[in-house]
Amino acid sequence: MAIQPNIDRNEACVFMYSYSSVFKDEFKLDINYVPPRLPHRETELKLLNQFFRFTVETPGKMTQRVLVVGKVGAGKTVLTQLFGQNIIREAGKRGINLHYVHVNCRECKGSLFMIIQRVVLKFHPNYPKRGYSAQELLQALMQILGEQKAYLILTLDELDALIQNEGSDSLYSLTRVQEDRQIMAQRLSLLGIVRDMALLSTLDASTRSTLQRNIIQLEDYSQPQLRDILNDRVTNAFHENAAPSQSVDLIAELAASEGGDARYAIELLWRAGKYADAESLREVLPEHVRKAAASVYPTIRKDTISSLNLHQKLLLLGIARRFKQSDTAHLSMGEAENAYAVVCEEYGEEKRGHTQLWKYVNELSALDIIRADSSGAGQRGKTTLISLPKIPAAELEKELCKTLRV
Amino acid sequence: MSIETVFSSKGKVKILKILVEIGELNISEIARRARLNYTTTNQHLQVLEASGIVRHKNFGRIRIFRFNEKNPRAKIIKELMNEWDK
Repeated sequence: MAIQPNIDRNEACVFMYSYSSVFKDEFKLDINYVPPRLPHRETELKLLNQFFRFTVETPGKMTQRVLVVGKVGAGKTVLTQLFGQNIIREAGKRGINLHYVHVNCRECKGSLFMIIQRVVLKFHPNYPKRGYSAQELLQALMQILGEQKAYLILTLDELDALIQNEGSDSLYSLTRVQEDRQIMAQRLSLLGIVRDMALLSTLDASTRSTLQRNIIQLEDYSQPQLRDILNDRVTNAFHENAAPSQSVDLIAELAASEGGDARYAIELLWRAGKYADAESLREVLPEHVRKAAASVYPTIRKDTISSLNLHQKLLLLGIARRFKQSDTAHLSMGEAENAYAVVCEEYGEEKRGHTQLWKYVNELSALDIIRADSSGAGQRGKTTLISLPKIPAAELEKELCKTLRV
Repeated sequence: MSIETVFSSKGKVKILKILVEIGELNISEIARRARLNYTTTNQHLQVLEASGIVRHKNFGRIRIFRFNEKNPRAKIIKELMNEWDK
């Protein structure tokens, strides 16, 4: 009888283990998660706060229009949302009735009516859904703000959609809605998010001039910056040592090659974690990252592989096998050559020389199947470092074996 | 207005019930939910507003009705309806 409790505890351990995960808190990798800290966007956040400082210091005296410009995954949405949270907290402390509403124009099909309706529904959840124009609704919104003595920072995410769908007029009426209310308190400030500045040139001159005064340009994240962002998320989302630096570095490298897309990087991190979980492993390996990359953007087509010549295939097979065995992110040219030699022996082929193989590596790299980088500082001598960012080694091996058999 | 004017009318009671439940609504929506036509609903609301139980607010062409929280009768009716549905 005395042993019984121990058995129970062991069973519980087995149970726990079978459900163990590399994740500590998966939500921290969710697309909707707004982290309290944004690495490498501190300056931009400060700038936003400066632009909107008046809303908490002298509310009603003026309004502001700011544009945030940046590519996909540059952190536009999360930057504005974090700013929104901060400023609402600050306004709350000072007893100011300030609201921050974030509307995605694309979700609203680029219609001013639907955009304003979303905002109005925040104040009056049962406001009738139809039976009036966008202009009437805009006036109703101003009336509501006036009656509630509320101030609003309206963020128009993916403003491109509104401009493409309705042209200048809608944006014009939004920016000018306060002008016939000059004597009254100024209540509506706008924060636009666009991907491409070029779109603004399609607007008419007067709308453009009201928008172009305050622009915050978000530069693409560089590889080291992406690594910092990923490390931040890894600390919050993963168990200790569950995401080793070589995997994180590989993700940063992949995302940097996709134009510094942080969202893609975080998505990869999450998926790689899922693959590690699926194999009941306690850490995320570079192979999981490759699998994740292949599932996010399946870029390598089968016909690309079958169009390679025999020795290119053999070389690739060697590389794939070596990656499968070793859990590293990079192979040196020498290691690749050795792996290739083994494969040649297996298939009874005479191996090609170094220069020929180096040409093959460059060709495979040009086809975007592998990545070849010159080794930089920190390593003795100079070699070509080969990585396999876009396809899981196991999958590549399977595919190659199939074509080589024929 | 006498108490029986309000409580003898099934339509008025229905409207009050909807307003207790939803908070505030426009006429068309009240009419739809109460399964009454627009004109009848409008007439009922006029009477209820004249008695001070409900009030409305205009947003352009839109009229939105709600309980008049400041009216003591409105408060009691609201409480009664909440109690009734418990």
